[in-house]
Amino acid sequence: MTRRLLWIAVALVIWAMLPFVVPRNIADLLVFTGIYTVAGLGIGLLLGHCGIVNLAQATFYGLGAYASAYCTVMMGLPSAVGFVVGAAISMTLAYVIGRPILRLTGYFLALGTLALSAIASALFFEWDWLTGGTLGIGGIPKIDIFGFVLDRPSRYYFFVWIVAFACMAAARNLVDSRTGLMLRAMRDSNTAAASLSIDLQGLRTRVFVVCALFGSLAGSLFAHHVSFVSTQSFTVDRSISFLLIPVIGGATSIPGIVAGAVFVTFLPEFLSNLGDIHQILFGLALVAVVVMLPDGLMGALNRIRARYAARGNRNAD
Amino acid sequence: MPTEPILSLSEIGHRFGGLNVLRSVSFDVPEGGIVGLIGPNGSGKTTLFNIVSGYIRPLMGTVTYRGVPLVRETIQKRGLAGLVRTFQMPQVFEQMTVIENVMAGCAKLTRTTMLQDLLRTPAARDQMRVIRERAEAACERFHLCGLRDRPAASLTAGQRRILELARAVVGQPRLLLLDEPSSGLNTQEIENLREWIVRLNAEGITILLVSHDMGLMTVARTVHTLYFGEIIASGDMASIQRDPRVREVYLGV
Repeated sequence: MTRRLLWIAVALVIWAMLPFVVPRNIADLLVFTGIYTVAGLGIGLLLGHCGIVNLAQATFYGLGAYASAYCTVMMGLPSAVGFVVGAAISMTLAYVIGRPILRLTGYFLALGTLALSAIASALFFEWDWLTGGTLGIGGIPKIDIFGFVLDRPSRYYFFVWIVAFACMAAARNLVDSRTGLMLRAMRDSNTAAASLSIDLQGLRTRVFVVCALFGSLAGSLFAHHVSFVSTQSFTVDRSISFLLIPVIGGATSIPGIVAGAVFVTFLPEFLSNLGDIHQILFGLALVAVVVMLPDGLMGALNRIRARYAARGNRNAD
Repeated sequence: MPTEPILSLSEIGHRFGGLNVLRSVSFDVPEGGIVGLIGPNGSGKTTLFNIVSGYIRPLMGTVTYRGVPLVRETIQKRGLAGLVRTFQMPQVFEQMTVIENVMAGCAKLTRTTMLQDLLRTPAARDQMRVIRERAEAACERFHLCGLRDRPAASLTAGQRRILELARAVVGQPRLLLLDEPSSGLNTQEIENLREWIVRLNAEGITILLVSHDMGLMTVARTVHTLYFGEIIASGDMASIQRDPRVREVYLGV
């Protein structure tokens, strides 16, 4: 137990020092990792605990970002209002859309969410009176907390990661709760879960709403970080890269989501140093992970750990 | 003293395509009784079971449970009202441990909102503690403690049956529907199952049992024989075994 606490303390110290010791561009990527972790957590809940592939997260990410941009730039409201408005709109939309489309299962449901993302992406482009279209909305103010302005990546880093940790704690709570129990039951057998009075449809809709909440929070965080939002950030491509986070990291594991977020933010950046070939290399890396580590980075790590433990036991015998 | 039936089937009829699988089936299950349903393969037993538990909506007839018509109720509502079933192929939650499987069975006895669960409020923690305690007690009772933390996927057929039964019973059913509970079990396991049925019934749970197994069927006080969608004989097991039509269907004599 004390050893565990020691590890946590070391991790915390590293976490607190990181933005001050790394170059600015890396600090920037660390902020993005935090933002992607928040968005990825929602998808991880759906994928790992309900078996639902959600390809619509860029929609809620966009709604959060536009809500923050519109409320602060166009209406001059405090940034907190943008977060709340974005979350409210995203959750309402997720509920209204979720009820009909969550009746679908498997590939059809994945395609349904993909369609949602495509429609939303088109609307973000068309409704330029609201979103600014391709020109976007610029000049989004930095968040200030009682006069302390989070205007540098090293400052915003702490804000983003505190939000991310809170979201991780909430996701963990949900998984360990009665809801989590029912979700896993439903994932393993719909038929049996129904016989135990588990409301499949309602449960899926509620998790979809939670996923949208995380997506929207991530979007608002993103808007305040980059100060400028436009349609390019909320396309179907973005939905796919969000889905990659739990797929790569391991959908049922919260550290796995962080690992997946690191993968999708850092790897393309490092590979881009290699010139035009970087997208192909990223694709190859992706295929390699999915083929060789079907249960994600965390699953692979657990297997290695189990193997070492088994070897340790054998030596002890 | 005749008791009010807990379940009453009246003129149930159902068709798959052009095939009449059930034709005007009517019978009552008295409160506190054990009622059996036998019949050769394809006689409509499982369809009837699916109709009672809500997986299929019948084309004709009514199902009344404790005086309330059921036909339009969802599976979940029926479960909350105390009508719980098991499956011909045991449906355990494979990736969950044994204790988690049982815990899932009592999730319906408590209430929490999503927000409470996300924030892990004291109420949510209390509910989870209640669920865990009940599940622990049920594991103890059904002798599943040794398997407690094993994934359900690793259990034998017999253990799966018992787990499924424990998971159903922990939800405090009034009427337990058992679909072929002895299939895939050895003689010792069937004997064990039989004892469980008698014990649960003695505790006040009404049981409707579907089985091929004539030996197990002797626990039932009333047995209905289904043949091509119709009830051809009813009575206690001894009289059923003497019935010429049943003998013809089963033995061809």
